Amino acid sequence: MTCTETRDLFSALADDALTPGERAALDAHLAGCAECRRELAGLLRTVKLVRAMDPVHAPAGFVDRVVAAAQPAPSHRRLGRRLMRPWPTLPLGAAALLLIGGLAVLLFRGSPEQQRAAHDQLEAARAPSSERDVAAPRSVEAPPAAVTAAPRSADLSKNYSEPPKSETMRAKTAAPTTKTDAPSPRARAERAQVTVPNASRDSVSSAREQEAQQRLTPPPAMERRDAKRELADRGQEALAPAVGGRSAAAPSAAERQPPPVGAATPAPAMATAKAQAMPQSAPLSRTGPMTGIPAAPPDVTARLRVAHVSGAERALIELAARVGGRQTGRRIDGGRLVVELAVPRDTYAEFVREAAALGAVSIESQATDRPMLAVAVTVSN
Amino acid sequence: MREGLGADPPGLLPRLRAGDPRAFEELVIAYQHRVFGVALRMLGNRAEAEEIAQEVFLRAHRAIADFRGEARLGTWLYAIASRLCLNRLASPDRRLARGDDALMDVPASNPDAAAAAERAELDAALRAAIAELPDDRRLVLVLRDVEGLSYEQIAEALALDPGTVRSRLHRARMQLKEKLERFA
Repeated sequence: MTCTETRDLFSALADDALTPGERAALDAHLAGCAECRRELAGLLRTVKLVRAMDPVHAPAGFVDRVVAAAQPAPSHRRLGRRLMRPWPTLPLGAAALLLIGGLAVLLFRGSPEQQRAAHDQLEAARAPSSERDVAAPRSVEAPPAAVTAAPRSADLSKNYSEPPKSETMRAKTAAPTTKTDAPSPRARAERAQVTVPNASRDSVSSAREQEAQQRLTPPPAMERRDAKRELADRGQEALAPAVGGRSAAAPSAAERQPPPVGAATPAPAMATAKAQAMPQSAPLSRTGPMTGIPAAPPDVTARLRVAHVSGAERALIELAARVGGRQTGRRIDGGRLVVELAVPRDTYAEFVREAAALGAVSIESQATDRPMLAVAVTVSN
Repeated sequence: MREGLGADPPGLLPRLRAGDPRAFEELVIAYQHRVFGVALRMLGNRAEAEEIAQEVFLRAHRAIADFRGEARLGTWLYAIASRLCLNRLASPDRRLARGDDALMDVPASNPDAAAAAERAELDAALRAAIAELPDDRRLVLVLRDVEGLSYEQIAEALALDPGTVRSRLHRARMQLKEKLERFA
């Protein structure tokens, strides 16, 4: 066997894939050829180096993004895509929005009946609080032509009951520029939560409507509560720099979906109820669609499947505290509870080990050298 | 190197065929790192790798009814990933840097920086050497030495003869060895 023939077998030798005959011939040659032995050592060292490379991990939130992308689009969107197919989508879509917006402005300005109606609504808004509550939802109704500008809102409003007024008012306060084109308060609230400032600002805004909306802000007591909560959340800024896996600008399909059967209570209301049930009041998430602050991905995104969600949430918080961490937030994402924690890097392994005892855990992590890891755990059963 | 490709999770395929959305989620959870790993080692860019990895699963989702189950689900996903990566690399409008820049986006094996500068230099040289391999050789090397597939699984995923897998792997490794000679 020549040196060339021998070296052709080196790679297969590294995989233990030689036939007995090949192996015998190779060994015989190597016994008398120092040069080939040196070549073999070099190749085996190279293979060892490649195999020592750490396997890479998919980015945090990858599973959610894939699952959301795999869900079929609502039928009206499929129809819209079919209609748009022969033309470039963006210019036509933008033109349609401009046209609808322009028509809405013309209708609003040009119709004395509508101006009168707006005036009446303002008057109603100035009425005593009992009357104002009744008038509030009506005062932001869209002109008829603008309703078609939000095909998604029909989807959002489906299956939802009327939310508590405080929830509606909070949503309006959080995003005062979002208004006018959604048929139900629930849909308006969700749009307000996911709207990027200036992204869907309606062209029909007017000073009168803004005045009416200012009248819809929560009473001072409620404002104080929100301010307190915000301060508490800011206090944990350093501990959890990254919570919430998605940007407010890109809500996943899961977020847009109605809650699962049996979860008739709207998600924010569930969150409030659970927060009250907790021994220590759990702060709301600082980032993501709830606050409008763009969310950076957490260092670790985990899923925990358990029999009892509330018990697991309590256990997770206790576990985080036990390993020197703490809870930094909680939110409902696509009907599922997400517990946000800050866990010290040094005790993270212990945290994972003990979390695995609570249920089935799957973890996606990002390489980071921060001493305190931002961990978002989705708890479901 | 990753552990070898084991058997499919029991009962997953029938549930996928039945359109169970939870089953699809389990599929993505089970194979996300493997699929993303191949895409990243082949393309050298995390954003592009995620795009391709997502497309792999979406194609599998659409085509699950046509999957006959003769191969493992994992092998099938590797096959889709390999094809998409090679297509992307061959596309004329791919403007991303190749050669030395490729694979530089892959995180270092020891982010805690405990390793010496020599080790870091070796890591960089190794990634650069892998990135410089011809696409078909790099793919076989990644599937074997990074993802831990057997010759037979690679042959199945790439629709190649096992002998071709063996010879491509041999050439890839020899080429790497030449480039890393100075670290010997």
